[in-house]
Amino acid sequence: MDPFGHLKIVSQLLDVPIIDKDERSCGIVDDIELGGSAGKEMRVEALLVGPGAYKGRMPKWMYWLVRKIAGNRMVRVPAKAVVEIGSVVKLNVCGEDLGLHQAEDKAAGWIPRWGAM
Amino acid sequence: MNPLELTLGIMTAVGGFVDISQLVFSGQAGSKFGYVLISAFAISTIGIMVFSEMCGRVAAVAHQPVFSLMRHRLGLKLGLFTLIFSFLSTLITCAAEIGGLGMILNHLTGAPYAVMCIASTLVLMASMWVLPFKWIERTYGLLGLFMVVFVVAVVAIHPPWPKVIGGFVPQVPQGLSTKEMLSFSYFVVAILSAVMFPYEAYFYSSGGIEEGWGAKDLLTNRVTSIVGMGLGTLLSIAIVALAAQLFAPANVAPQIPGSVALQAAIPFGKPGLLLALLGMLFAVAGAAVETCMANAYSVSQFFGWEWGRHSKPWDAPRFTIAWIAVMLVALLIVLTGVEVMSLVEYSIVFSIVVLPLSYFPLMLLANDKSYMGQYANKWLAKGLGWLFFGFVTIAAIAAIPLYLLTSGG
Repeated sequence: MDPFGHLKIVSQLLDVPIIDKDERSCGIVDDIELGGSAGKEMRVEALLVGPGAYKGRMPKWMYWLVRKIAGNRMVRVPAKAVVEIGSVVKLNVCGEDLGLHQAEDKAAGWIPRWGAM
Repeated sequence: MNPLELTLGIMTAVGGFVDISQLVFSGQAGSKFGYVLISAFAISTIGIMVFSEMCGRVAAVAHQPVFSLMRHRLGLKLGLFTLIFSFLSTLITCAAEIGGLGMILNHLTGAPYAVMCIASTLVLMASMWVLPFKWIERTYGLLGLFMVVFVVAVVAIHPPWPKVIGGFVPQVPQGLSTKEMLSFSYFVVAILSAVMFPYEAYFYSSGGIEEGWGAKDLLTNRVTSIVGMGLGTLLSIAIVALAAQLFAPANVAPQIPGSVALQAAIPFGKPGLLLALLGMLFAVAGAAVETCMANAYSVSQFFGWEWGRHSKPWDAPRFTIAWIAVMLVALLIVLTGVEVMSLVEYSIVFSIVVLPLSYFPLMLLANDKSYMGQYANKWLAKGLGWLFFGFVTIAAIAAIPLYLLTSGG
């Protein structure tokens, strides 16, 4: 099944949470890369994840602020890695394989692994 | 249904309703306007019951917490605006709760206020680190039930019951001057804001997901939201009634939690005072945990991070860093020496502004049959949802002018 069959991109895909095949949260669909050209069929080529993808979606001053706080990292998730689109976007691969989870893994290094039930 | 499953609703409600702002605010409402404002609590409670039931249902069926919905439905820019405002209002509320804890512990032990603020913050953080979500909600939810002493106190002082019951009928007191009328309006708006604090929805919906709710838990959700929120309102109304009976005739307007605790001391003496202070201590501690976690939930869900305290802190590292940071910044705000009641007023005004933006996406999703299937809103939930959405929108427009005109009531 093609999860992108007929899709309302803004209402069904943009700003939807992404989870990988291990059910780990991998961010949000921050922007979408489309393929095709005028007069031809448009297709979703990839999902863009990370603050770098905010660039075209907010005023310049706001993006400047976001970039200062969160950087401009952006990960490209190819459309073929998407297996299902619903209340979340499900991937058929591990987030790590696509370069997702890097900030989460980095933060994990700061957290001591003791004391919690 | 296991009765312990109700603890999520009890903690949400006791921590949401009977937090430091409600404690002092309910007392002031009763002492200034008698029993009249009971109706504002009762009506707002129906609103929070409707929206929390909706939050829980969406969490159970679509497995989506409020902030994910908000980002998806409002888009990045408006979603970010809502995130920033709700984060600030909840952070200020969290600071007010820590300040409240410091005051209550100061009453109980006589130790310096600042030391008690630091000590209570460290204890709260330790409990959030050590305990999994289920035990956090059970500990603070159940210990907050000491607050029931206020309900027993109302019965013990034999209030004029026809007047108490009459307070449930919406009315405007007769013969108020313009200034008093504005103050009354401010109290109505502030009660609506405080009862329907957005962080309650964030916490409740995230809590439902933490507990792994599914469609089979919809009855638990309904009972939890009605019983939990109903209990929270009962406690607030008890404080209003006590203040109307005990403080209003003497023209006393309680400004600190200790004055409110005296309401239980009048009928029951020292044991009543102790129970009231303990109840307030645990309810306010629950509110501090709730606000802190609500902020960490919001940020994590908005940016799609791993989140939740059902897993170990190191399995959701950015979420863990977020709640630790929120707690420490809230403590720093308190240690600047700002007055707790000023923090309460700021948080109420900030909160009301984001209320419509919090509940609008929730209404859209709960109405959406493509997500919710047979569990989408039916006519009653839809009708009540839009009605209360109208109320919070009007209150949001009126809040800041009323705050400025009345200098916070």
